[in-house]
Amino acid sequence: MRVLVVYCHPVPESFAAGLRDAAVDELLKAGHEVDLVDLYAEGFDPVMGADERRRYNTMVMADHPFPGHAERLQAAQGILFVYPTWWYGLPAMLKGWLDRVWTPELTFKIPDGPGPIVPLMTHVRLLGVITTCGAPRWWSYVVGHPGKRTILRGMRALCARRCRTLFMAHYMMDKSTDASRARFLASVRARLARL
Amino acid sequence: MRILVLHAHPVETSFNRALFRLVVDRLEKAGHQLDILDLYAEDFDPRLTRAERLSYHDLSINRVPVDPYVGRLLAAEALVLVHPVWNFGFPAILKGFFDRVFLPGVSFGMVDGQVRPILHNIGKLVVVTTYGGSRFRAMLMGDPPRKIAKRVLRATIRPGAPMRYLALYDMNRSTDASRTAFLKKVTNVMDAF
Repeated sequence: MRVLVVYCHPVPESFAAGLRDAAVDELLKAGHEVDLVDLYAEGFDPVMGADERRRYNTMVMADHPFPGHAERLQAAQGILFVYPTWWYGLPAMLKGWLDRVWTPELTFKIPDGPGPIVPLMTHVRLLGVITTCGAPRWWSYVVGHPGKRTILRGMRALCARRCRTLFMAHYMMDKSTDASRARFLASVRARLARL
Repeated sequence: MRILVLHAHPVETSFNRALFRLVVDRLEKAGHQLDILDLYAEDFDPRLTRAERLSYHDLSINRVPVDPYVGRLLAAEALVLVHPVWNFGFPAILKGFFDRVFLPGVSFGMVDGQVRPILHNIGKLVVVTTYGGSRFRAMLMGDPPRKIAKRVLRATIRPGAPMRYLALYDMNRSTDASRTAFLKKVTNVMDAF
């Protein structure tokens, strides 16, 4: 499977970087093709400006603000997000990537008449999230796990009908230990090895 | 009341901007003292940096890069957000305001690795927002922005503080009538602030 790994963390020596490396390593070992996007490394600008917003609903591929990203998204059969959960959701950088790269015509179509939007990312059969949360699991669920829902329900609705999902989180990161992090890394490796 | 009005929409002629203007206009007429924070007009950079992440839990320096914004947040007695919902979440520019300004020592404290909310200067919260999709569709997705407002933000501000979530769903198929009705609703809530 061609997997687009979307990684977002500002600190190159962070635990998230370790998760990314473990994920990429296991995917390659299992014979998948990996395309890695590192949003901080490329200095992605997540802020959608006025012109782009005006054109958004009628956006055609020729006007896409990030043709390179659009092409990589179009080539993906699986997408794996690796990021820290901040304020219960995606880092602004990653939220902006969804807002600016997942445009109409590429990812969905707004119908002329009544009815829901039509998904166009039907080539994506796997959506995964690997994340770290400061909050405990129970509270993350009480507040609705916004980051998880945004990707695994919101964006999934634009993917293949039977698109599989995968979600792994290390909760209570501020109380994490070497042992808890090692355990989580091992479980991420084991999970991805049997994709 | 000292009210911080936080707005995030890039387009001058948008319905969301009209809501923002309406909010400001009604609150000013009612004699409130407003602090207007239009994130696009300020060209706010929502990207939390490496340095900010490394000093995140150091209360003596973590607010330095965003000090003026922290000051404005802590000076407010009420908070009003006016923003659209994009992809079942905040626009990045607003999400980044939470990431960078709602810091340990500002909006929450850390006790034994657990969060304790402390933004108790905010005694009232109103969110005015617009969704492209229907309420039903948002519910299927878990409606993340509604939950962030009604659960997380509400738990962050003064305990028991009143909170309203005013949302116009289905903007992609809105009509003059539905927009007018929503403007009226927002007007009423602002007049009674």
